[in-house]
Amino acid sequence: MEILVLLAGVADSRFPLHNVSLDRQGDLIETGQTRRILGPFDEGALELALKLRDKNDATRVNVVVLGGPNEEALARTVVAFKPDNLRVLKLEPYRPWDAALTASQLAQYIRSGSSLPDLLMVGREFGDLDEGSIPLMLAGELSMPLFALAQYAQWQGDQVRMMRERGTTREWLPLQSQPVLATVTNDKRNKLRHPLMKNVMMAKRQSIEKLSQGVKDSSGMTAIALSEPDTAGRSVKCQILDGSVREQAVAIANYIRQAAG
Amino acid sequence: MVDHIQMTRFVGVVPGSWGEDAIGTVLAALQSASGKDAGCDLLILGDEGIDQALGMAGQAGIQQVYCVTSEGLSGRIEPDGAAMLASKALNEAEQPGISRLILTPPGPEGEELAARIAFQIGARALGRCESIGFEAGQVVATRSVWGGRKRLKLGAVGRLAVACLRAGKPALDPSRPAAERVDKPVSVNLPGTPFLDVESTGESLPPVESAKLVVSGGRSLNEEGFAQLEQIARKAKGTLGGSLPAVDAGLVPVVRQVGISGKFVAPELYFAVGISGTPQHMAGVSPDARIVAINSDPEAPIFGMAEAGVVGEWQQLLPEILDALEG
Repeated sequence: MEILVLLAGVADSRFPLHNVSLDRQGDLIETGQTRRILGPFDEGALELALKLRDKNDATRVNVVVLGGPNEEALARTVVAFKPDNLRVLKLEPYRPWDAALTASQLAQYIRSGSSLPDLLMVGREFGDLDEGSIPLMLAGELSMPLFALAQYAQWQGDQVRMMRERGTTREWLPLQSQPVLATVTNDKRNKLRHPLMKNVMMAKRQSIEKLSQGVKDSSGMTAIALSEPDTAGRSVKCQILDGSVREQAVAIANYIRQAAG
Repeated sequence: MVDHIQMTRFVGVVPGSWGEDAIGTVLAALQSASGKDAGCDLLILGDEGIDQALGMAGQAGIQQVYCVTSEGLSGRIEPDGAAMLASKALNEAEQPGISRLILTPPGPEGEELAARIAFQIGARALGRCESIGFEAGQVVATRSVWGGRKRLKLGAVGRLAVACLRAGKPALDPSRPAAERVDKPVSVNLPGTPFLDVESTGESLPPVESAKLVVSGGRSLNEEGFAQLEQIARKAKGTLGGSLPAVDAGLVPVVRQVGISGKFVAPELYFAVGISGTPQHMAGVSPDARIVAINSDPEAPIFGMAEAGVVGEWQQLLPEILDALEG
């Protein structure tokens, strides 16, 4: 089985955001110390792919890391998990807010290979500027069936089964012969493993293959402005409940009772 | 701006089988985007829940509701089938010179529906938006990016755009009559049901999207803490939610994840325990919701958003709250 994992990375939320702005054409300028790491959805996609390879020697895990700030460090982080192949893909133009354009660029890259992967895995959101549309539109571009919000995958005999939970049900999709795109969401069963230290050291020395993929931008969507988030709408004066623990609990219980009607 | 609104139809799209709350969120999005009731249409996919939709749409000021049906349609409509139905209906109803801004319910399924419709009809995919308006002949939308640390304003030219707008609850006037039903049968080859093995998760609490009370926990709680939150939720006929880190830790299932990447909730009361109030998390809580918080950190941002709160340890407070609710 050929698995292709697309990883976008996100800015590390433990640190202040690096400098981001737009130029006159509406293209993104990122400067300062960028700390792009794997996001929870990236991690889930990578871990599920590695799990499937762990249990099946004939499975290959190929990874594409989205080019951009901090790409070298991000790629080496992934190399430490020993994918069978890793490439850094730079998108030109790079407009990650535009799902149609980005999906088209990714699809063009994937189609340039000899065949579609058996399983294409992408985090449910592809980076910090996507809200989930890119993987969905990529499935459309590649005419691949979509299994959205997968949480787990496992082999059953010679067949892969992917799992997701919806409401009160757990659904298992046995993969047939047709290639499938799965978006992966966070779940305790797909927490990314720690790499072996020797592989981390090896990753520091490995050469990284870098490619670029251009496509004519005809999507008609432009970035106009970047600004700070608006938190004023939520700003209220909080009544800090004091007194004994019992008194505080009773006060909170009253709020809960009122809401319960 | 007025000219653009007059030339634009705002079209809400929602499968009736997704329920009253999904219909309500689309009506709220229509009101927010259009400035209450200017030029709005509602497409209900399938006839399940249509009577309820007619009543709610009428109360929201919409005069006609299009009921989109197709042969072989039954039960809950999944986003792929819903997108095919909606796209067909939208293509058949295209009017020269009229732009359409199409709105779907917020949340993962609504966002999937929006992306699929955009792909199928060649519309601009605006995605999950905080606001939508018109400037200089184009649709402008703002999105929360970098985990809520920045806002991005986007412009989209063209006659078709699709978005999800988290606008909370609709303004409904019970004195208004129900909307008129207009049947819109379409002919589509609905996708076959994928071969899925389905089993019960054993979940018995209501979904977070529709609850009046959401009792929600963060990563600082453990399994015992979440068990107590669940007891509180059951006792008060509410439901249980959690943050992304709590889901990652396996403390609460992902279907209960509240936040920018999870569910959007609009309860009367959001009881946040051990939740610091990051922009990523709070993007999943309606601005209309009242918040009561417990956090051991007096500097936690949640106290800048909560109506009331306790700076304290959940280990001490939760058993006492349970006891107080029983009393």
